[in-house]
Amino acid sequence: MTQLAIEVGALAKVFGGLAAVDGVSLSVPAGERRVLIGPNGAGKTTLFHCITGTLKPTRGSVRLFGRDVTRDPEHRRTALGMGRTFQITNVFPDLTLLENMTLAIVGTDRRKWVMHRAVAAFADVRRQALEGLEAVGLAGRAAQPVKLVSYGERRQLELALALNTRPKVLFLDEPCAGLSPSERQRISKMIAGLPRDITLVMIEHDMDVALGLADRVTVLHQGRVILEGTPDEVRANAEVREVYFGHG
Amino acid sequence: MDRGRLALSLIALAAALALPFVAGPFWTGLATQMYIFGLLALSVDLLLGHAGLFSLTHASFFAVSAYTVAILQVRYAVPTTLAAPAGILAGTLLAAVFGISVRTRGVYFILITIALGYVVWGVAHRWSSFTGGDNGVTNVPFPAIGGVGITSHTQYYYLVLAVILLCALGYRVLIRSPFGLGLRGIKASETRMQSLGYRTSAHLYAAFVLSGALASLAGVLYVYYNRFVNPVASSFPISVEAALMAIVGGSGTIIGPFLGAGVVLGLRNWVSSFFEMHHAIMGAVFIATVLWAPDGLVGIAARLRARFSRPKEPGP
Amino acid sequence: MLTSAILQAINGVSLAALLFLLASGFTLSFGLMRVVNMAHGAYYLLGGYIGLSVAQKTGSFALAIVAGGAAIAVLGYFIDHFLIRRTGENHLAQVLLTVGVAFVLGDVALAIWGGDNLMVPAPKFLKGSVVLPGDVYYPMYRLVMIFFGVFVGVVLWLLYKKTQIGAVVRAGVDDREQVNATGINVDLLFVMVSALASFLAGMAGVVGGAFLTLYPGAEWEILVYALVVVIVGGLGSLGGAMIGALVVGLLDAYGRWLLPEFSYFVLFGPIALLMLFRPRGLFGKEH
Ligand SMILES: Nc1ncnc2c1ncn2[C@@H]1O[C@H](COP(=O)(O)OP(=O)(O)OP(=O)(O)O)[C@@H](O)[C@H]1O
Ligand SMILES: [Mg+2]
Repeated sequence: MTQLAIEVGALAKVFGGLAAVDGVSLSVPAGERRVLIGPNGAGKTTLFHCITGTLKPTRGSVRLFGRDVTRDPEHRRTALGMGRTFQITNVFPDLTLLENMTLAIVGTDRRKWVMHRAVAAFADVRRQALEGLEAVGLAGRAAQPVKLVSYGERRQLELALALNTRPKVLFLDEPCAGLSPSERQRISKMIAGLPRDITLVMIEHDMDVALGLADRVTVLHQGRVILEGTPDEVRANAEVREVYFGHG
Repeated sequence: MDRGRLALSLIALAAALALPFVAGPFWTGLATQMYIFGLLALSVDLLLGHAGLFSLTHASFFAVSAYTVAILQVRYAVPTTLAAPAGILAGTLLAAVFGISVRTRGVYFILITIALGYVVWGVAHRWSSFTGGDNGVTNVPFPAIGGVGITSHTQYYYLVLAVILLCALGYRVLIRSPFGLGLRGIKASETRMQSLGYRTSAHLYAAFVLSGALASLAGVLYVYYNRFVNPVASSFPISVEAALMAIVGGSGTIIGPFLGAGVVLGLRNWVSSFFEMHHAIMGAVFIATVLWAPDGLVGIAARLRARFSRPKEPGP
Repeated sequence: MLTSAILQAINGVSLAALLFLLASGFTLSFGLMRVVNMAHGAYYLLGGYIGLSVAQKTGSFALAIVAGGAAIAVLGYFIDHFLIRRTGENHLAQVLLTVGVAFVLGDVALAIWGGDNLMVPAPKFLKGSVVLPGDVYYPMYRLVMIFFGVFVGVVLWLLYKKTQIGAVVRAGVDDREQVNATGINVDLLFVMVSALASFLAGMAGVVGGAFLTLYPGAEWEILVYALVVVIVGGLGSLGGAMIGALVVGLLDAYGRWLLPEFSYFVLFGPIALLMLFRPRGLFGKEH
């Protein structure tokens, strides 16, 4: 039996009176690629926030490789191997792409505390940052401030940041949202080419991308899991068609 | 550093070195004050311009350090070599306590730092048996290191100049370091920094204490220049003027806070020679800065340079 | 000893009543309009001075209160409309701008009323002392001050909880978008709330000027107390302002009595504890 990378137990998040996530349990074995689907407002992003520590869940627990991280702050979880992207691009607009990457690279080691040496003196960080940008096709943009690059390029940077925190489990919140078809293809190809030892949990609206990439799919609706299965099972399920595609 | 800026820096340095010879004691004194308050403004700007925290309690560290030096030197005849470090230590320790305010953000941070600043002012003002009350502590001697003592304001000018140059160099390394970059990251997006593995509160706390240490150093320079200290040094106007200096000059830069200190102090000196209401003038500078020059002098200079160095780009 | 302790409690509550007048306006303007107005202390001082002049001319304390409040409401409107509004929701800019306004107002007040401690003359029937149970003499004015504070508190509370406008304001404090959705004239609502806040500050100056006296610098001292009230209670919360005022008023009274040299230090306690356990105050919300 393989180890569980992520184990979510009866997790709930209530905003005011609204239960955005309403008792979700979820187990993702190490190395699996799991895609979360569900209509708008199903609670997918909120579930991500609670797992990665951006939000405190109202109830329930989160385990990472067997370790209870429910009470751990977000930066601890990142240090333990969670990486994530945001649905709404969350990068550093005034900094250059290279600086953005530098922040991601030194964020998970002690070098982030270095005060007496300029960033430029860390040749290996710079090399890794450029490689990271190269991987998402942004090497030519390294010296530009983020606010001057296109939306699609920012989405790619968003992904590159998450990839460079040494994640063991990667949470991607609609990485392709708002991209042009060609960019979309490039990104999904890149995600498909990620090393298999990285556990992947991804939210995706595009059914072709989602079902093509996933080992298993979890369907969320109104804060609850309504189905979990292989892409084929999900495709065949009538209830999913009902809630997800509008009608059967 | 490009050649233009290098040349400009060298000219500025030469001017600073020559100042006591070409200008009289009045200007030398004003420049000394500009360096001291510029350093205080720079300390405020480490938080404001880099980490995005608007502290209004920096006069506390400045004053606690100044009081410590004054009391040690005057009442206990402690030599400068011990009194000055003790002053910096005292101010920094206070910053380590007040640093818990980094648990808050935004408006709460601003309001809490104002309130904390008043605690220090209240103690300076009311605990008269120790602080000398409104009269403060007077007759602080010039500093003396080993057997070598400063004997004139001109000599002291050069000492202050040397200290602030060292500080500026150190500050430059700090803001370019991974730690300094981290602060700018937090200013831009704290949530993202947390998800990248940063314990942002710890980063901000460290920045707060460092910034308090720098303000304390400014306090030491101040008390030896002024030769006395009273509760005014710890008052709210000092804190808020330090922030104003940073903004007037250009927040987020090194030269900006010093330029801003020059503008504010120069203006106040000039205005108070013919007009009594100098608080009102300061108030007008606050209002004008917010409404018309939020990026300060450095921002204005950058905009002008951009306009003149490159022809207008064709429309999109 | 016990009687002193009781006296200090009454002192504390009467200061709380005054602080509530000032803090309620501050907290409401933040709650609804997200405006941090550091000129509130200057409004207090200027309102007090205007009331003083009116009281000296007319001999009417009631008129002084109304005049002090009304003059500041008008002044506040202009400052809001021509200056503060231009800062948008940039709190840093608001703070700097309104500190600047406070400096200007403080100097203008100094030029007109001078630098001495001045006391607003309280009406005859409020002078002298009352004998409380246990043969304790207590100044009548400060006792009435408590009732006045409670009265204003109740009026504000009713306005806030029971009227249509109050409902809109409450909705706006919770969620700004909602105000736009109600179809009410938002600009008018903002003007009204900001006028009310300024009025309360000006009125507080007259009321406070009759027992704390007015002098240059008083604007900052009182503002800091009001800020601590707001920090303790939580920005934007009227109930929080009441509780916060009581906490600060009582701490200040006992602090002055027991640790006169460190009374400001006593204020540090609640702030520090709050920062450790409730960074947004007792009733503060996420903003
Ligand atoms: N901070 C918040 N406060 C209040 N309600 C919220 C908050 N965040 C999300 N919600 C609500 O919770 C529900 C779930 O939102 P969530 O963003 O998790 O959905 P989602 O599945 O990611 O949707 P989408 O596909 O549109 O991204 C929605 O009804 C949303 O309005
Ligand atoms: Mg979502």
